[in-house]
Parts: sequence; structure tokens; C-alpha cells
Amino acid sequence: MDDNAIIDLYFQRDELAIAETDRKYGTFCHHIAMNILRIREDAQECVNDTWHAAWNKIPPVFPKSLRAFLGRITRNLSISRYRAGHAKKRYAGMEVLLSELEDCIPGSDQVELVIERQELSRVISGWLDSLSPGDCALFIRRYWYGDAVKSLALEYGCTPSQMAQRMLRLRRSLKNVLEREEASL
Amino acid sequence: MNREELYDGITDIREDLIDKTEKHIRQKRRRRRKTWMAVTAAALTLVILAGTFFSPLPMAPEGRNGYAVAEAAYPQMAPYPDEASYYNKMTDDFDDEAFSQDYDAWVTDRRERLDMAKACDADLEPFFTESARQFLSGFDGENRVYSPLNVYLALGMLAELTDGDSRQQILDALGEENLKSLRAQASALWNASYYDDNATVSILASSLWLNENISFVPSTMDTLAKTYYASSYQGEMGSQDFNKALADWLNQQTGGLLEEQASGIQLTQETVLALATTICFQAKWRNSFLESETAPDIFHGNKADTTCDFLHASRVQEYYWGEHFSAISLPMENEGNMYILLPDEGISAEELLNDPQAMAFLLSGGQWDNQKSLTVNISLPKFDVVSDLDLVSGLQNLGILDVFDPDLSDFSPMTRDQKGIYVSQAKHAARVQIDEEGCTAAAYTVMAMSGGGSMSAHEEIDFVADRPFLFVITGPEGLPLFAGIVNQPG
Repeated sequence: MDDNAIIDLYFQRDELAIAETDRKYGTFCHHIAMNILRIREDAQECVNDTWHAAWNKIPPVFPKSLRAFLGRITRNLSISRYRAGHAKKRYAGMEVLLSELEDCIPGSDQVELVIERQELSRVISGWLDSLSPGDCALFIRRYWYGDAVKSLALEYGCTPSQMAQRMLRLRRSLKNVLEREEASL
Repeated sequence: MNREELYDGITDIREDLIDKTEKHIRQKRRRRRKTWMAVTAAALTLVILAGTFFSPLPMAPEGRNGYAVAEAAYPQMAPYPDEASYYNKMTDDFDDEAFSQDYDAWVTDRRERLDMAKACDADLEPFFTESARQFLSGFDGENRVYSPLNVYLALGMLAELTDGDSRQQILDALGEENLKSLRAQASALWNASYYDDNATVSILASSLWLNENISFVPSTMDTLAKTYYASSYQGEMGSQDFNKALADWLNQQTGGLLEEQASGIQLTQETVLALATTICFQAKWRNSFLESETAPDIFHGNKADTTCDFLHASRVQEYYWGEHFSAISLPMENEGNMYILLPDEGISAEELLNDPQAMAFLLSGGQWDNQKSLTVNISLPKFDVVSDLDLVSGLQNLGILDVFDPDLSDFSPMTRDQKGIYVSQAKHAARVQIDEEGCTAAAYTVMAMSGGGSMSAHEEIDFVADRPFLFVITGPEGLPLFAGIVNQPG
């Protein structure tokens, strides 16, 4: 079933919408949740919560990209679990991702005060546009999908350390952009 | 700004960037799929029913088509769209709408086929467990591989040709109540396992080889054609040409992987009917192994140590364990899996065949209580295992007795011309190869460390398959397509 037909089901409040969403995007969302949380039961709960959240948001929201819409909810729910705080170290995938993202944070405290989430996303999106299609996809797969460096290395036919170096270059590039943004503000 | 806020910022990047990434992934996988040709697995089963001698009539047809009574029309599947063909060569624009439409058609078609398997509630576990014990054990350190699905379908066809106790014994062995439930099950299994969509090859085929001097019950032949997609060929039993036609058919359906075994099959003049079922399977790993990481190492076989090439990889993935084994899965792009089951030290691979927990794991589809996500350092030998089995004693041990006894057998649904028809041969050959790019049937991985409940994802574990192990290859819905024991990587 194509995405518009699924979204129509949500608008008609037809519960088949959830079954069809699970059928088409269950693997995708579970993949993201597993990459981040690394605990099967929690990942599955997170995916179920994603369907519940989608049911509550559509309507009125009409997602332009159902895939991105659902993946975004899964990511938000994943970090909510992490932020719940009682077992942060339990979620190994999130710990590793966040520790890598620390490389991108500008040195000054000013940015902390001025760049809001929406603006930050706009800046990051613009930076991604400036990358080659391969680098753009690689960054998104690592930091949006949460794909492991080792599995990306296998897929791209390089060693894990070569892939880690490529990721480091990308993080440094993003850091430079965020620092320039800070300077412009 | 802190790291969690940066995570949030990345979460909300523009949606079209996610869609572009998804296309990039599909395109990349498509390119890899096109260049990969190495993965293959095949199995064939032949059951020959022999009766009385008949004088052959002169006949010299050219090729198999000269013998064809009816050839099965296999299901048409929506093809996996070739992404390269959606690019405009002049402008390099990608026709996203057309691609999405074709991709959705492929997904829908695939889902419908999987639903057919889900709709069928039959339990394959008893047959799989018992047949694995019969066909994989007791071979003194030789490699063994068989296809549970292939044998199941051959027995299903045999049940259609029999009646009375002959049929009931087959139904009991397959765990089916009656012929109606068997047909529903066989049809569901067939449709759930058959793929030929440019992305996955899992081709099942069946055929009947009929003695030209005998008349067969048309309704039974029709049922076999409809339920099992069986083609029918009729000719001079025992003739060189008819035997060659059968061997050609087997080689065609199994991609030539079992040529040596197929060449040994001879129908005699006494043969009334032969039925053959085949499966040919090809899939690639979702995460391939790096060729540069492959290196020779020692495999400690039951009889001797040998040196062979080992695949190596280090991945965060599920690791499973039981009381006497540890296991990993190697996912394939067709959503199927190869599970590799390594017995604990002091336990043989063959002993695991009698371990209910190990057998339950092989059919669990990864839904297993004892599992953890860990960094697994995989070391797995490349292998090519072939076996050629005589099924008769194993089938008799499964309780299928009467069809082998001309005084007790009942083949009345097949033909009313003759009495005293019995099964004179039942052979099964299978082969599985794995390499860096993919597998078809089995991969085996041995784990050097035993599992425990307190491991965390930060921990690493070595899974070194340097001694005999079990494997099973499952289709997208966890159906056991192939199972085997690797005692020597081949």
C-alpha cells in the first residue's frame, strides 16, 4: 500500500492504518530503535509507542514523508527512554552515538543559549546539502538511523578504522559549520 | 548546546534528506545484488514408484518437450524494480514516482505471499525435528545436508497418489490430519517459499514422470498439477532418452549444482511413475564479509584437522545460547536467515540433533529467550557441502512403511491398471555453499566462549566455527529450507 493510502486510513480513523504502517515500516522503525537502544524488548515497545503516537498525530498532521515522520517519532521516543535516567548505561547504542556527537559541539557556551532546536536542524540540513550524496547518506545512516560503524564499513567495503576516520572528518566538518553559525550570531 | 540537543537537531533534519538516504541505500544494495553471483543452494528429491514390466513402445522424441503432457505455469511475481532503469540518461533525473509505484507493487506482492504462509497454522516442528534426526545423524563424520521443505513436498505428492494406511502413515509423519489440510499446508508452503523476483531466487519445482503404457487417474494428476505445480512427462521408461530428459530437468531446476548426483538416477522399465521435487535457492548476506579479512585457518574435524579459508567479521548482533550450544544468525537480504549452532565443548553436533532445546531453537526464527546483543567476532569457514541420501530407511523410521511393501501398498488414486505398486527408490541430494557475499543454506559458526546472562552489549565474544556445527537456512517466515551438519568444510 502506498503512503498516501496509509495516511488516508489514519484520517478515516481506520485501525487498519496501524497494521499497514507496521507492515511497511515495522522493520525500519525497529532497526532504528534497536540500533539506539540495543535491547529487543525496549525496541519493540518503542516501535509500538511509535504507532500509538502516529495514530494521535495524524490527523491533523499530514506527513510529507511517512518514513521520516515515523523514524523521527521512534528517535524521539528512544531518547525519551534514555532521558528517563534510571538506566542510561543500559542503552549502549545511545551512549556511543552521543559520545561521538560531542565532537561536533562548538567550544563556546554562547551557542548553547542561542541556537534553538528548529534552527539547529535547519543548519544541519543545510550542511548535509553541501556534502556529496555518499557522505550525506553516510552521516544520516550513522547518526539518524544509528547504523554501527562496523556494519557500515562492511557495506562500503572498507575497514572499520577507515570508516571511523571518515566519520570523524564529517563530525569535524559539522563542528566547523556550527562554529561559523555561532560567529554569525 | 549539549550532545542530547544535537541529537534532537539531527532528529529534525529535513524529511527529504531521509528519503534521499533511503534511495541511496536501495540503489547501493541493488548494485551489489547485480554483481553477486556466487550464492547457491539446491536440493532435489526423487521418489520412484515401480510396478510390473511393460513392453516399451518405440518412441524417440527430441528433448524433454517431446515427453511433456502438461507443464506447470509458475506464479508470476511483481519484479523488484531495477533502479538503474529509472534514471533519465540525458538528465540523470530519477523517476521517483514510477519507481515508488513499482517498488510498492513488489512489496505488496511479497507481503501477500508471506500472508499465505501466516494463514496456514500447521506446525512443521514435529516433522522437521524427526526428519532432521533421521536424515542428518548416523553418518560417522560425513557432511550431511537436506531440505526439510523439499522432502515435505515430495511426501505430500506421494500422499496424493496413495490411499488407506499407505496415505495415513504419510499424513501422520507430516503431522497432517487429512488430505485437505495437507493440500492447504503444501500450497501455503509452496507459495510462501517460491520467489523469483529479480531480488531473490528460491525456486521450487515438481514433476511427474509417467510410464507411457499405463493410464493414470486424471483427477489425481490434476490435483498434483494445481497444488504442487507439477509438470507431467510421459515416455518410455528405462530408455536412455527418457532418463536423460529427467536428468536434464533436474539439472535445469537445480542450476547444475547436483549434476553428479542427478546422473546416477536411472528409471527402469519396471518403473510406473517417478515424482521429483526440487528447490534452488540463492541469497546474499545482508552484511557481506570482507574478502580481505578471509584467511586460512585450521578446522578441527571429527576425523582430522584440515586447513581452509575462514570468513571473518566483527559485528554488533544477536547472540543466542542454550544449555548445550551457542548460536548466531546471519541475516540475508531476502529476510531469511542462516542460523549457525555451535555445540558446547564436549558435545558433538550430532548429539544436538537429539537435544529438544537445540531443535526448538532452529525453528524459533530468532524468537528465543536466551539472547543478547553483543559484539560478536565471527570466524566461519567457507564451505561447500553436498550429500546424497537414500531416504528409504529414514522414511520407514518415520512410520511410512506400507508404500514400500507391494503386498500392503495402496496406490489406487494413481492408477487402476495395476496392483502391487510400491516405492522402489527414494533419494535426496542437497548442496549448500557459502562465501563472502552470501549463502544458500547454511553457515556455520562456532563460538569459543559460552554464554551467560550477565553480558552487556559492550562485551565482545568470539564465535569461532573451527569444529563441526549444525546449520539451518530459513526463508522469510522462518520456514526451514535447508538444514545440515558440517563435519568438514569441503
